[in-house]
Amino acid sequence: MSDALTAEVLRNALVVAAEEASIVVVRSAYSTFIVEGSDASAAVLDAGGRLVAQSMATTLMNSMALKAALPEVLKDIPAATMRPGDVFVLNDAYRGGVHTNDLLVYRPVFAGGSPAYFTATMIHVSDLGGLSAGGMAPLATDVFLEGLQLPPVRLATSHGIEPAIEAILRANSRTPGKVMGDVRALIAGTAVAAARVEAMIAEYGPAGLARGIDDYLDYTEARTRAALAALPPGRYASSYSIDDDGIDLSRSHTVRVAVTVEREEGIPETADPANGAAAETPGTAGPAGPAGTGVPGTAGRGRVVVDFAGTDPQVPAAINASASQSLAAAIFAVRCFLDPTIAMNDGCLRAIEVRLPPGSLLDARSPHPCGGRFVPIYAAMEAIFQALSDAVPERAIAASGILQPFSIAAVRAPYWIHLSYDFGGVGARRGKDGPDATGVHFGIGRNSVPQAEPVETRCPLIVESVETVPDSGGPGRHRGGLGSRTVLRFLADAHVTTRGDRLRTPPPGRSGGLPGRLGGFYRRRADGTLERLASKVNNALFRAGEAFVVETTGGGGVGPPHERPPEEVAGDLRAGKVTAEAAARDYGVTVREDGTVTR
Amino acid sequence: MPPQRPEYTIGVDVGGTFTDVVLRGPEGEVTVAKCLSTHDDPAEGIITGVAAALGRTDPSLVTRVVHATTLATNAVLERRGVRVAYVTTGGFRSAIPLGRYARVEEDRYDLRFDPPPPPVAAEDCFEVPERISCSGEVLRPLDEAAVARVGREIARRGITAAAVCLLHSYADPAHERRVAEILRRTVPTVVISSEVWPELREYERATTTIMSAYVGPVMEGYLRRLTSRLAGIGITAPVHVMESGGGVMPVELAARRAVATIESGPAAGVLAAAATGHPDAISFDMGGTTAKACVIRGGRPEITHEFHVGGKGSFGGRRAGTGVPIKTPAIDLAEVGAGGGSVAWVDAAGSLRVGPRSAGSEPGPACYGLGGEEPTVTDADLVLGYLDPASFAGGTMPLARDLAEKAIDLRLAGPLGVSRAEAAHAVHEIANAAMGSAVHVVTVQRGIDPRGFVLVAFGGAGPMHAARVAARFGIATVVVPAHCGVASAAGLLAGDLSVDRVRSALGADPAQVFAELTEAAAADLGVRPGDPGVSVERSADVRFTGQAHDLTVPWTDSPGDLAARFSARYEQVYGIAQRGPVEVVGYRVRVTLPAARRAEAPIPAAPPPGTALSSGAGTASGSAAVAGASGTARRTAYFAETGGYAEVPVFTRASLRETGGPAIVEDAESTIVVPPGWRAVLAEDMAVILTRTDTDVETDTDASTSASAETGTGKGAEADTGTDTGAGTGGSHE
Repeated sequence: MSDALTAEVLRNALVVAAEEASIVVVRSAYSTFIVEGSDASAAVLDAGGRLVAQSMATTLMNSMALKAALPEVLKDIPAATMRPGDVFVLNDAYRGGVHTNDLLVYRPVFAGGSPAYFTATMIHVSDLGGLSAGGMAPLATDVFLEGLQLPPVRLATSHGIEPAIEAILRANSRTPGKVMGDVRALIAGTAVAAARVEAMIAEYGPAGLARGIDDYLDYTEARTRAALAALPPGRYASSYSIDDDGIDLSRSHTVRVAVTVEREEGIPETADPANGAAAETPGTAGPAGPAGTGVPGTAGRGRVVVDFAGTDPQVPAAINASASQSLAAAIFAVRCFLDPTIAMNDGCLRAIEVRLPPGSLLDARSPHPCGGRFVPIYAAMEAIFQALSDAVPERAIAASGILQPFSIAAVRAPYWIHLSYDFGGVGARRGKDGPDATGVHFGIGRNSVPQAEPVETRCPLIVESVETVPDSGGPGRHRGGLGSRTVLRFLADAHVTTRGDRLRTPPPGRSGGLPGRLGGFYRRRADGTLERLASKVNNALFRAGEAFVVETTGGGGVGPPHERPPEEVAGDLRAGKVTAEAAARDYGVTVREDGTVTR
Repeated sequence: MPPQRPEYTIGVDVGGTFTDVVLRGPEGEVTVAKCLSTHDDPAEGIITGVAAALGRTDPSLVTRVVHATTLATNAVLERRGVRVAYVTTGGFRSAIPLGRYARVEEDRYDLRFDPPPPPVAAEDCFEVPERISCSGEVLRPLDEAAVARVGREIARRGITAAAVCLLHSYADPAHERRVAEILRRTVPTVVISSEVWPELREYERATTTIMSAYVGPVMEGYLRRLTSRLAGIGITAPVHVMESGGGVMPVELAARRAVATIESGPAAGVLAAAATGHPDAISFDMGGTTAKACVIRGGRPEITHEFHVGGKGSFGGRRAGTGVPIKTPAIDLAEVGAGGGSVAWVDAAGSLRVGPRSAGSEPGPACYGLGGEEPTVTDADLVLGYLDPASFAGGTMPLARDLAEKAIDLRLAGPLGVSRAEAAHAVHEIANAAMGSAVHVVTVQRGIDPRGFVLVAFGGAGPMHAARVAARFGIATVVVPAHCGVASAAGLLAGDLSVDRVRSALGADPAQVFAELTEAAAADLGVRPGDPGVSVERSADVRFTGQAHDLTVPWTDSPGDLAARFSARYEQVYGIAQRGPVEVVGYRVRVTLPAARRAEAPIPAAPPPGTALSSGAGTASGSAAVAGASGTARRTAYFAETGGYAEVPVFTRASLRETGGPAIVEDAESTIVVPPGWRAVLAEDMAVILTRTDTDVETDTDASTSASAETGTGKGAEADTGTDTGAGTGGSHE
C-alpha cells in the first residue's frame, strides 16, 4: 500500500519510468535533430489525460502536447478496444500535436483489464514530407504544405508495427529508413516506461498506485499554489511583436498578454474537496494520513490567470501555434518565477489558468500552418517574462535573443539533412549578467548544439567557426548575454531553410539597460561579400563554395551602463566580450597599455 | 623448496577522511592499518599508515606498492589544478567558454541559471590558423609564426601548462605535434589531444586534454614526493597507480596521464568486490555522502568510455552535460547522493525528503555531537537500533543517541505528526530507495536482470542497508567481505598493469590501426606486445550507419561476426532488435601485464580468526556485543516485519557462525543488519554471507527504484508474478 511517509519513493519511480524511456529513444533514434544532443521527450499519463511525470530533460512543449493529445486518441479509439501491446500515434496539430515531424506515440498500461495509464514518447523524426527536407517549411501557407498529417491511429499491436501504417510513413518520407528507425525507437521507449509502470501497479496495487499518484499531484499543486501566493497580487501586461510572417515582410504580428496574480487568503487548505486523497486514506495508521498529501500550514494559496486576449489573429503563414504549444509556453514562463524545484505534472498545471483566444496566433485552426509554432510561443514566453519582471523586480530579466533554427539539405536525392539551431544571448538578470548564446526559453542547454567534427563527417560542409560576437550583449550595469556567429561553408550545392525572429527589432533592456545587438542570417558569396537573408527563407540555394552565416541576437542589459564597475568592463575586454571602442562608447571606460582602467 | 625471499605487497587508498593501508604477505596473510588522511600532503598519512602496517617487517621485502588516489579528482572538484592555456583551431576559441552543459530538472525553470564556469577562462583560450579535414587532408597549413606568438603570450602571462586540441586531430595529429614542439620552447607542460585521447567530438576531446594539463603537474609533483618518501623508509619497490578503468599504471605514466586516475579510488573498491570470487556481482559501496554501484559480469567490472567529473547525480546517473566530460575508460559506476550523512527534512508542502544535502563530517549527523542539529540517515539508523552508540567506528567515536532522537523528534516526527520510530523508519526506507537507484542505473537501465547477481556490500554504512537494497531487486545473496571497511585498499592488490589506447578512424585499415595502438600501449608499459604474459584486447566502436551513437564490442576480423556482436549488444542496451548496415568508427586496445604471481585464495586470505588480523583501528568487540559462543549480546532494533522494536541478537564477526534474522553483526569496520527473512553465515574467508530465506515473500522483484520493505506483508497473492526485470530489454516489436 502507498505509504504517505515514503511518498518520495513512488514519485521518483514515476519520473525514472519516463526518464528511462527518453534514454532509450535518444540513443536508438536516427533523426539528426536529436542524436547530437537534444533530448527525447517521454511522459507517463493516466487514462484521464493527467500528466503524471515527464522525463527530466524534456521541454515542456513536448509534454504538453502529449497531455493535450491523449484525450483525442481516446476519442477516436475507445479504451475498450485497446489491447495489451497496442501502440498509437498521431501528429495532428489541431488535436494536441505540434507539427508534422513531431510524432506522438502512446502505449496503454492495463490494470484490471482496461487501460489505466499511458506511456508516451515524442521526437522530431527525420522527415515526413512537406516543402523542405527535415520538416521546416517556413513559407507554408497551409498545413498541407507542411507534410503528412496523421490522425490518431493504431501504430503497432503485440504482433509488431501495422504494415499499412509503415507503408504510409515510408511513402511520405524523403528518408524512409531513418523514419522507421525513429518510429521503432519511439515504440521501444514506451515499452520500457510501460514495464516500469506495470511493476508499480504490481507493487502498490492498482488502487494504491492511483492513490499515490493523486497524492503526488495534490502535493505538487499545494507547492505551486504556495509559490504563487508569494507573488505580489496584481495585473501585469506586456506584448511582443513578431518581425513578420515570412510572406508579407511589411507587417508585424503581436502577441499580447495580461498576467493576473490572485491570492486566496484565509481558506483552510484541507477543506479543499478536490483533495480527496486525504479523505480516502483513513486506513493508514492514525496521524500518518496527512503527511505526504500535506499542505503547508502557513503558506497561502495563489492562483494565476494568463490571458492572451488582444493577440493578433492567425495568419495563412507558419507563425501560428497549436493550443498545446501555447499552453506550454505560458506555464513554462510562469514557472520561471516560482520555486524551480516544484515537479512538473498536472498538479502544477491546475494552479495556472491560461486563456487562449480561439483562432489567434496562439490557438490556430485548420488549415493554418503550425509548423513554425516556436515563433509565436517564444513571443508568448518573452511577453510573460517582461510582465512578471514588472511584478517581481528583484527577479527581473531583460529581453533575450531567441532561438534561430535552420536546416540544410541536399538539393536532390539521396538526401542528407542537417537540422539545427543557434541560441541568442540571454537578457541580463537583476544582479547578474545574461549567459551567452544559450536557451533560456524552455531551459534548453547548449549540449543540443551539434559539434563541428560529427557534422563534417556526415555532411558535405566545413564548419569554419563558432564564436561569440563581441559587443552583441546589451550594455548595462548588468550586461546582456552575447549572441553567437556560426559559419558553414558548403562543399556541395545545398538548400538552406531558416526560421528566425527578433531579427528586426532588438531585444530591449530594462531599467536603463540598452538593447542587445541584432543578429541575422547571411549568405557569404565566393568573393567574400555578405548578403543578408530574410528571417524566414525556404530552400534558398547555396552553391558549393558559398557560406551560410548564422548570427544570433544578443540579450538586453539591465541598469545604466555607466553604473557597471570599470573592472567588470575591463574583465569583459580581456575575455573578448566587448571591444575597446564599445567599452569607451557604451561604458565610458578605457583601459591603458599599462592595464590601468579609467572612466 | 626455493630459498626465495618472502614477498610483500602494499595497497594504499587515500580517501577523504581515512588513509587505508593493506599489507599482504607471502602466505596471503593480510595486515590492515587505518589512519587519518593528511590533505596538505597525502604522502604524510601514507607513510604513517605504511609504517604501521609494516610493523617489524623488513621494508626491502616489499615488491610492489599499489596506490589509489583522489588527488586528481579533488584537484578538479576544488579547482586546485594549475592555470592552463587552451590552444585550438582558428574560429573555435569560444568553444570551451560556451561549453556544452545540459539543463536538467530544476535548472530548466531557473531564469537565474548560470552556465557552469568553463575549465579554462575565455581570455586564456587561443587560436591558431590551420585546418585539417575529417579525412586527414590539410585544408589550411599551420601558421607556425602565429603559434610562436601564442607561445610567447602564454609565457608572458606566467602560464606554465597548455592544452592543445585541433579539429580532426584524431585523423591526423601532424599539426598538433608541430604546435606542441613550438609551444614547448616557452611553455613547460604541453598536452595534445591526439596523444591523450584521439577520438572524434572536439569538445570532449578538448576537456579531457585540458584536464590532463590541469592536474598533470600536480600529480607529477605529488608522485615524485611519494616515491622519495617511500624510499626514505626503505621501500624502493615500484609504485603503481590505479586508473579509472581498474588497471594500474607505472608511476611515470600516471603523471603523464593523470586524467586517467580520476576514478582511482572507486575503481579499487569495485576490484575488491570482483575479488570475492563471485563472477556476477554488484558492488555496493555506501559512505557518508554518496552510494556507488557497479556491475561485475564474468568476474569483470563493466567499463564506460565517458564520464563526467563533478557532474550532477540524476536519479542515479551522472548525467551528461552537468560536469566536465572525461573520455578515458572508467569503471561504470552509478553514484547517488545518499549516504549516512544525508540530511532528512520536511519540505514546504509537508513531505519527508532525504538528501541530497549532506551534513558531511562537520557538523556531521546530530548524533556525532559536533553541533549538527539536522537528522541524517545515520541518526535514523541509530534510533532504529541498527547502530550501537558505543561501538561505532570500532568504538573510536561514541554516538549520542539522545541527540539523534531530539533531531528526529523536532525536525521530522513533530512536523509530520508521526512517532519517532515511524519517522526514523521512513528515513531508512527512503535512503534505501535512493541507493537502490544507483543499482537500478547499472542494471535495469543497462538491460541487465539483477536477480542472479550477488550484492557485495562495503563502505562504512553499506552492510547496514545492503539486504534491504538487495530485496528491492530480488537479489537473494549479499556478501560482506572481511575488511569491508578498507575494501578499496584490498582491491588495489588485485589490479593488473594495463594501458588503454583509442583512435577514431572512419574507413581505416583495422589491422594497421590496431598494430599502431598496440605498439603505443605496450611502449607505455615498457613491454613488447609479444612478451610472455602480455595480453592484448582489441575492441571497436560500432554503430548503425546513419546513427550517431556507437557501442563498444570486442573485435573480430569477421565483419559478419562483428555486426552480430554489435546487434546483440544493441538489443541488450536498447531493447530493440534492429538490423542494418554497420560501420566501425573507432578502435580500442588494452594491453595488460598481469600482476606478479598472486595467491589464488580470495582476498583477504583466511587466517585463523583474530591472529593475523592486527588492525590499527582497534578490536572488533563493542560493549554491547560479547564475543564467543556463550552469552550472545542482544539489543532492541526496529523491524517493520516484527511490528516495531524487538530484542535481537548481536554478533561480532568472530562470534558468528550462523543465524537467522532479525539479527545484527558488527565489527570494527561496519555493522551488518540481518533483516527477518534473511540468514547470515560466516564463510571461510571471514566474509559474512546473507541469504534470503523467505521465498514466499519475495515480492520486490520489480527491480525498479520503487519498493518498500513493508510491502512484504501487505502483498496479495498475485504479487509474486516475477515481473520482468529485463524489461529494459524487453521492448522488441518487430
